[in-house]
Parts: sequence; C-alpha cells; structure tokens
Amino acid sequence: MRKWIVPALCAGLLAAACSGGSSSSHTTGGQGTAAPPTTKVAKGACPVGAVVASAQKPVQITMWHSMTQANLQTLTKLTDQFNSTHSDIHVNLVNQTSYEDTLTKYKAVLAGGQRPDVVQIQDVDQQLVIDSRSTLPAQDCITGEHVDTSDFVPKALSYYTVQGTLSSIPFALSNPVLYYNKAAFTKAGLDPNTPPATLDELRADAQKIVQTGAAKFGLALKDDPWHLEEWSAMAGSLYANNGNGRTARATAVEFGGPVGQQVYAWLAGMARDKLAESTPFTGFDNLLAIGNNVAAMTIDTSAALGTIFAVLATGQYKNVTLGVAPLPGPVAAGPTIPAGSSLFVVAQTSPARQEAAFTFAEWLSEPPQQAVWAAGTGYMPVRTSAVSLPALQQAWTARPELRVAYDQLTRGANTVAAQGPVIGDMEGVRTAAENAETTLFHGADPVSTLKQLVSSANSVISDYNSRVG
Amino acid sequence: MRGRKVLQYVLLMAVAVVVLFPIYITVVNSLLSPDTIGHRPPVLFPTHPHFGTYSTAFHEGHLGTYLRNSFFMAAVITVGQVITSVFAGYAFAMLRFPFRRALFITFLSTLMIPFEATVITNRHTIVSLGWENRFPALIVPFLATGLGTFLLRQAFLGVPRDLHDAARMDGYGHWRFMARVAVPLARPTIAALAIFSFLGAWNQYLWPLLVTDTDRLRTVQVGLRQLEGTSIQQINVTFAGTVLAALPIFALLIIFQRQLVRGLTAGAVKG
Repeated sequence: MRKWIVPALCAGLLAAACSGGSSSSHTTGGQGTAAPPTTKVAKGACPVGAVVASAQKPVQITMWHSMTQANLQTLTKLTDQFNSTHSDIHVNLVNQTSYEDTLTKYKAVLAGGQRPDVVQIQDVDQQLVIDSRSTLPAQDCITGEHVDTSDFVPKALSYYTVQGTLSSIPFALSNPVLYYNKAAFTKAGLDPNTPPATLDELRADAQKIVQTGAAKFGLALKDDPWHLEEWSAMAGSLYANNGNGRTARATAVEFGGPVGQQVYAWLAGMARDKLAESTPFTGFDNLLAIGNNVAAMTIDTSAALGTIFAVLATGQYKNVTLGVAPLPGPVAAGPTIPAGSSLFVVAQTSPARQEAAFTFAEWLSEPPQQAVWAAGTGYMPVRTSAVSLPALQQAWTARPELRVAYDQLTRGANTVAAQGPVIGDMEGVRTAAENAETTLFHGADPVSTLKQLVSSANSVISDYNSRVG
Repeated sequence: MRGRKVLQYVLLMAVAVVVLFPIYITVVNSLLSPDTIGHRPPVLFPTHPHFGTYSTAFHEGHLGTYLRNSFFMAAVITVGQVITSVFAGYAFAMLRFPFRRALFITFLSTLMIPFEATVITNRHTIVSLGWENRFPALIVPFLATGLGTFLLRQAFLGVPRDLHDAARMDGYGHWRFMARVAVPLARPTIAALAIFSFLGAWNQYLWPLLVTDTDRLRTVQVGLRQLEGTSIQQINVTFAGTVLAALPIFALLIIFQRQLVRGLTAGAVKG
C-alpha cells in the first residue's frame, strides 16, 4: 500500500498547485511541439493540445472495461468507429471481465506497470478512485476543452460530482426497476397494467398473489444494499452525512432514521409473512424465480433487460408475460439514485495520452454514440438529446420497457438525497448492509438489526477515513 | 464386528455423497438447458443432455487456449519446484555449512507469509523486469518453494546414514548419491510435491489476473470468471467450462492417488 501512496500524493499536490492555472495550460500545451511531452504540461491540469503536438501519431491509448456479451460487442463497434474517424488516436480495449477485477487490477498497477488510460469504474467505487489521486478529474478537461455539459442527464452529472468537481465521464447508466409477470397478475385477479407504485401496494399485491396461489411468493428479493439506498433517496432522506458525502467527506451514515426503520420493518414483514423469498445478492436466482413461477415480481437493475429479452426470445419461459415498472418506494414516484459506471482518465501518463483518453471518453458520452450504446445494451443514455435520435427511438418503440428506467430517473427533483451517497469504502458499507438484510430474512428483529448496521457501517467509514487521512 | 463395519461404510458413503454432490450437480447442469437449471425442485438427471455446451465453452469461450496456457504454466512450475526443492532439501539434510539452521528457518518463514502480502511488491519486480504480459511473469516467481524444500529435507533426513556411508565407501560423491540413492528413496514425497505444485499453479487466480491483460496469455481460472460474467441464457456453458477446468485435476488425482496418500504419510513417522 505504502508504495503507491507516495507518488499518488505527489500528483495530488501538483494537481492542487496547478488547478488555478488551468486556463493558461491552453498555451503551454500548444507550444510544446518539439520538447519532450512529459515535462511541458503540468500533471493534474488538462493537457489541451497535447495530442496535436505529439510527435508520435496515432497516440496509442488503452481502455480497461468490464463489459461482456452484447455490451462488449456494442463497445467494440463504437471503438472501431472512433479509431477510424480519429486518425490521431488509436484506442485498444482490454477486457478485465468484471468491475471487481478491474478495480483490483487498477489498484495493483498504481504501484507500477502499464496503466490504462481510460478505466471504467463502477458507480460506488468513485470516491475510492478519487482518493487514489491517480486520475485526472474530468472537470479539468471539461473546462479546459470547453465542453458543453448542458445536454447531460442532470442526475448522471451530479452523481459523479464530488465537492463541486466532476470526477469522471458518466458512461453506462442504469436504475433498479420492478420486473413482474403479467400472467401471474391476471391469475391473481390484479390488473396487469397497474403495477404497485408504493411499498404498501407492493405488499398488498404480493399478499393477493400468494393467497390466490398465482405464485408461491409475491416477490423474489435479493439481499441487496440497494433497497436502503434507493428507498432513502425516494423518501428524500440522506444516506450519509455532509450532504451524502458531497460537500465534505462523509463521516457517518444517516440511514438509521425513520425512513430506514420503515424500510427495515417492511422487509422484515415481507419475510415473516412469507410474501417475499430471499435470493443471493449475486447471480440471477431472483429472475429465475419469476421464470419458474416461484415468484411474480422482483427488483433488479434495468441493465438486465437486454439479457432478459434474449432469454425470453428463446421461448423457454412461455408462462411469463414480462412487465417492467418504475421502482415502488416509500412514496410513489420518488426520485431515484443513478447507478452504473463512469470513465476515469488516468493521470501520470504522458499529456498526449491523457488528452487522447479524455477525447475518447467524452466522445463515448456524445449523443450519437450514447444512442447506439443504449440501444445495443439496455443502459440508459447519459445525454438527453440521445433520446430523440433514430437509433434509440427505434429500439424504444420496439421495446417500450427500455424507457421505464430513463423516465424514472429523469422525473422529479434532483435533490441531494437523490444524488446518492459517496463513501470511500462504499463496498464495505454495502457488504454490511447485505449481511444485515440476510439476517432480516432469517427472522432477525428489524430495529436492532438496523442499529447494528448503522454502527458497523460507521466503523467501516471511520476506519477508511483514518487510513486516507 | 460385522455390524460395526456396515455402519462404518454407511457413514463413509453418506460423507461421500455430501462431498461428491456439488461435482455431480455441476456435471448435470452443464448438460441441461438454461431454463431447466433453475427448476424447482431441481432436475437431478439430464434426460435430454446438451453436449454442445462443451464445444461452446471450448471454442467461443476460448477455454482451449486458456487450458493450454494453464497446462504449460503449471507443468513448468511443477518441474521447476521439484528440481529446486530436491537440491535445496538435499543441501539442508546432508551438507554441513555455516548458517545452515538460520538459512533453513528463513526458508521456513516464507511459509508464514501469505502470498497476498507480497503481491504488490512482486508485481513491481515483474514490471521492472519488463515481464508484464509474458509467460515468465506467470512462471518464474513460483519456481522455488519453502514448502517443497521443507518436505524434501524431511524425506532426505529419513534416508539411513548407513546408506550414505556405504555409498561413500563405493566412491559416490554427493551428486551421485543424491541422484542414485536419495532421490529414488524420496520418490513418494517428490510425487506428492509435484501434485501439490501442479494443483497450486493450476488454481491460481489473483496473480495471473494481475500480470496478464491479453486473451493470448489468460489462464483457465481467469477465463472461467470471464465465462461466468457472460449471461444467464448460457449459464450451462459456465458449468461446462467449470467441468473442463477441473478435468485435468481429476485425471491427475486418479492417476497419482497412491503416491499422494503415501506422500502425505511419508514424513509422518520416522523410521
């Protein structure tokens, strides 16, 4: 650990020293035609003009991503398009297979070795990567290259903005939605076109489904930390202090209040009355439960839609008529927290590579590319104007279910609660929350379980904070 | 007496079922279609097996390449560990030299340090040698092992001193004594070490992940993870891949079962 903290700290100091001079870097970068590129442009500020000034062309950059299957195909297609339209830059994609492995490996290369230039990082690891001080804040180049951000989906921007600085370029956007089997709803005497909008309605519908025997359980529920996060946001309640960790580093969680208590009591009730079946956090047992008529509803990421359509298209689950609805919450139609991943530009490489990396990441977030990306993957576009482009229009007309998450995310006010928490060791907090939910489903008392979770989450946070300093 | 034996066998069989069931269900799931895998109650026998999953895993999942890489890596590591352990173990058992005890304890202490603790430093070394994304990165760090040295030292200590003296009388030096007498006598230990080395190398995950980026060099465990990351409609392919990755290990265990058991007990009783 200590080995990479030293260079990382140096870069952090440099970034602080140079952040005021970002406007002058425009001329600095432009002049450095013949000089070695490493010394000319200050690290931390956006190296505007470095690609043009680069002696070696095309500038070779590497992107580490975690996409598989259809997502990988779409990303490869877009990258090929970028390479053929940008003669100055060549992007090589490296598949690190999962967000966890990508992060593990990224931490390892900070000690030395071939760093990527662009790295795709999962939403919750944002603060951790910021704290590594190994990346160039996207804000620097957004300002330096005069990128207009007004077209970005506001929540996508605000999620990746910490203490007023955009850390990275939003790329793959998703949201939890309610999946349900319309056939089971009909069988239970429920209207398949009015899915539940609140937790109370969700419980009532589940009761009816179980009573009529339309399915064994009303709901298949992952032991998912998401519930507490999203439902706090929907009820307008903060998850962590200091403005969800956005005005200053979060030092404690705040979900122990009335909303958290309501959520935990609800979860415990669903488990106790056998209305919900608990399934593991990882894997897709909850989706299989719908396919096999064990449950009629489940909550999962909208990013699973592409796969679900592919499975249904094989004709394996004839008993299922898929319904997709906005996530029910403590209140109906409350604002949700965006999820997904963003693209970080890695610092401490040559200025030309850094600028090339930003150029590529920013290009991927432009409306035409986002339309293709969203249509090919099931993610939501990060740009509002992408919605009206033909590529996405066609996909959404053919499959209106793909729109649900986008409409859900873009409705309502962009409150601090809805921006979601940024916590350095969010993974640690999530593990604690996941374990707490598992014990809930094993009959634990919701009040004391939530209390315990608050204290273990707080110790995870203070432990991390003391290490970062 | 008879009743006790029956009871013993029943108990053993029950344990065997518990141990073997996960392996059995993995094989079954690899032959089912994805929708039947999720069935409740679970399907325990594939009535319409789909063998195509194996070729999908092998070709489209690139498991062919990954298996070859893993096999090459594990084989070289095994040979390397056996050779270095034989030499080091022999030296510690038979030769007198200064600081022998201190050196041996240093060797042993490497057993106490978990691999994870040194992984960042090791990676740094590999990178500064320019070995990133090359086979030496996968192999060289594992060519010597404290455990192997320890095992073989114990085995060589078991070689009767008289044999050594007799060999000396016949004009054998250390080299010839080691090759003709000590190593043949330590064969069960060497076989056990070889299997442990192979297993260990085959099952590596973190290290290959950290030092390689390309499909060309990926090993089977990392490749499996990639297969798992694919999707729900091909979950049976993931199971098929798991079976393929485990096959070489099974084969090894069946072939070397005797040596393995003998090797495990070889050092236990001195005599």
